[in-house]
Amino acid sequence: MVTGPRTRRAGDMVTVAVPSGRLLDGAMRILEASGYLDGDAWRGSRRLIVPGVEPAMRCLIAKPVDLLTYVEHGAADLGIAGKDILLEQGRDVYELVDLGFGTCRGVLACPARLAETWERLTPLRIATKYPRVTERHFWTQGRPVEVIPMNGTVELAPLVGLADGIMDLVMSGRTLRENGLIEIAELFQSTARLVVNRVSLRSRAAAVAAVIERVRATVARPEGPGEGLMPSREGRTPRA
Amino acid sequence: MLGCRECFITLLLYLGKASVQRDTRERWQLIPSGTRDWLPREAARIRGAASGVLAEAARWGYREVVTPTLEYLDVLVRAEGAGAPDRLFKLIDRGGELLALRPDMTTSVARLVATRLRDVASAASLPLRVAYAGQVFRGAPPAGAARLREFPQVGCELIGPRTVEADAEIVALTVAAFRAAGVAAFSLSLGHVGFLQSVLAGLDLSEDDGAAVRALLYQKDFVGLGGLLERHRAPADRIEALLALPALRGPDALVEAGRLVHTPEGRDVVRDLERLGEALAAHGVADAVTIDLSIIRDFDYYTGIVFEGHTAAVGAPLGGGGRYDRLLEQFGVALPATGFALRLDRVLAAEGAAEDGAQAWTPDAVVAADAGCGAEAAACARALRSCGFTVALEVLGRPWDEVADDAARRGVPRAILVGRGAARVREGGNAERRVPLSELTATGRRGTGARPPAPDARPGGPW
Repeated sequence: MVTGPRTRRAGDMVTVAVPSGRLLDGAMRILEASGYLDGDAWRGSRRLIVPGVEPAMRCLIAKPVDLLTYVEHGAADLGIAGKDILLEQGRDVYELVDLGFGTCRGVLACPARLAETWERLTPLRIATKYPRVTERHFWTQGRPVEVIPMNGTVELAPLVGLADGIMDLVMSGRTLRENGLIEIAELFQSTARLVVNRVSLRSRAAAVAAVIERVRATVARPEGPGEGLMPSREGRTPRA
Repeated sequence: MLGCRECFITLLLYLGKASVQRDTRERWQLIPSGTRDWLPREAARIRGAASGVLAEAARWGYREVVTPTLEYLDVLVRAEGAGAPDRLFKLIDRGGELLALRPDMTTSVARLVATRLRDVASAASLPLRVAYAGQVFRGAPPAGAARLREFPQVGCELIGPRTVEADAEIVALTVAAFRAAGVAAFSLSLGHVGFLQSVLAGLDLSEDDGAAVRALLYQKDFVGLGGLLERHRAPADRIEALLALPALRGPDALVEAGRLVHTPEGRDVVRDLERLGEALAAHGVADAVTIDLSIIRDFDYYTGIVFEGHTAAVGAPLGGGGRYDRLLEQFGVALPATGFALRLDRVLAAEGAAEDGAQAWTPDAVVAADAGCGAEAAACARALRSCGFTVALEVLGRPWDEVADDAARRGVPRAILVGRGAARVREGGNAERRVPLSELTATGRRGTGARPPAPDARPGGPW
């Protein structure tokens, strides 16, 4: 039983959920370039809620796997999330803007020694942080697969015989190379996306629409949202 | 020092106990994931909200029907397409037939109208106005905001007319239903599936791409949609209209929409919505409704207007509905229809969280029997109940003083000991009074058949 008020938040405060980890810097830069955030307020800070430049705006910093939970339940009105997480979790949120940074690919990889026999292995054992995406992929291929869900250092699994291969994100491909893994197939391409709660889009329409428009304008600027963050053109092309 | 250590040990013991309890919790103590119990206070609010909506609907001429919780899987697949079984809670009947728990009531009502009310439906008695209240079920594992797999719904269907007036009635009734259910601050977002269809029409999408577009729409993935249209070299104005969709809401939305549509069907949609807006103003609900062309509903049987009710306090829609002109066709009766349903669990969340559901209920009086006067006590309780008081009869066999003290402690306004010919009444902290039985039950006899008195009108009479 819950006692006391359980309403979301008072008034017109707009909350943006920002992922910790590899997308944090890019996300904060976009919000900074859009005039919502003062860089000094978050750099070097350990606070999980960062006040915005405007009093009616704040950011919360969430683990990437939890981020869409905040947005779907409306604890945050907007969020910045990788397409990889969106594909894996399939949440009820509006995906509105491709932010163009955090470009990476979801690939299947296996140890070089298995590359020859890969097509004949059955059932394949795949270690991954993306069990749903992986299962869906093999389901559409009609191939039996045993997915082994993991939370980190997925590359280790095939090296010690836990799995035949992995499905994981790659940026440069260096981690794969250093662990003797070779890419078999690409399952998806990912960039950071701006997502919105379906009720916030309506109940806080004006404030939320303003954020969307300013972020969209920032991303569309030819010089990009900040130095060192130049997204590649291909990264900005939306992909289903 | 010592106190601190004791505290620490107590804490360890407590933690140990808690973990033992958790570990030994057995299945008979649990309920399936995605279901929940409703304790008396919440159950009363749910029941109150449902009856409030049904009573309001009855004043608009909507009569309640009750359909089975179970339907044949074929019925639901017929209505919701081949993808439906993935979302359904399925069972196997003794003869091997596939059954499913209803995922909503609209399909059941459509089946009922087509099979049981066929004569009515084909006769001059259209339109048919139907209301319902009941539990609905989803089979998908609980995830995110959709964590309940069973929840209560109440709703209405208006079957027969294809007019703007019918749509206006359903939208106005939805507003009235939200108010009857006790939601104070809410807004209704009103869109039309035809607008999106007109944007996508004429793109010559292959069947696969069409399916991909629908999947992207249900996922609300506008980035993916834009990308798909770009790859198809869709005209720039189509892409613009599509990407503008999530922002097409508010007073100027229809003007903007009129600028963005390029097909006759699209212009019809905009014109219909304009006329609907006028009709809603006539119903006096224009303030509660906002045009919002980005509404995407979870069921894909909708063919016309679609709408959802929101409140800022809850992150998911409280209810919604729309026009579904081809659903009844699936059951052999080609009738257009429009309707809505409220999710009562979310409606209650919008009103604010329930207070402690285990909090004791207090009757207006407790009645105990003096030695050998059980019949008189029961008759007294009957008489008081018949005039609208809530009465708890003493069933623990405790002595009178204990009964009266316990009643006072629980905040029950009065305790009555019924003897032969007379009763002893204790009220609040006051001294005991003797009241003749005839006087005590006179109120009951006078009040028989009358409506329960309002709480503030209750004192008086024999008390």
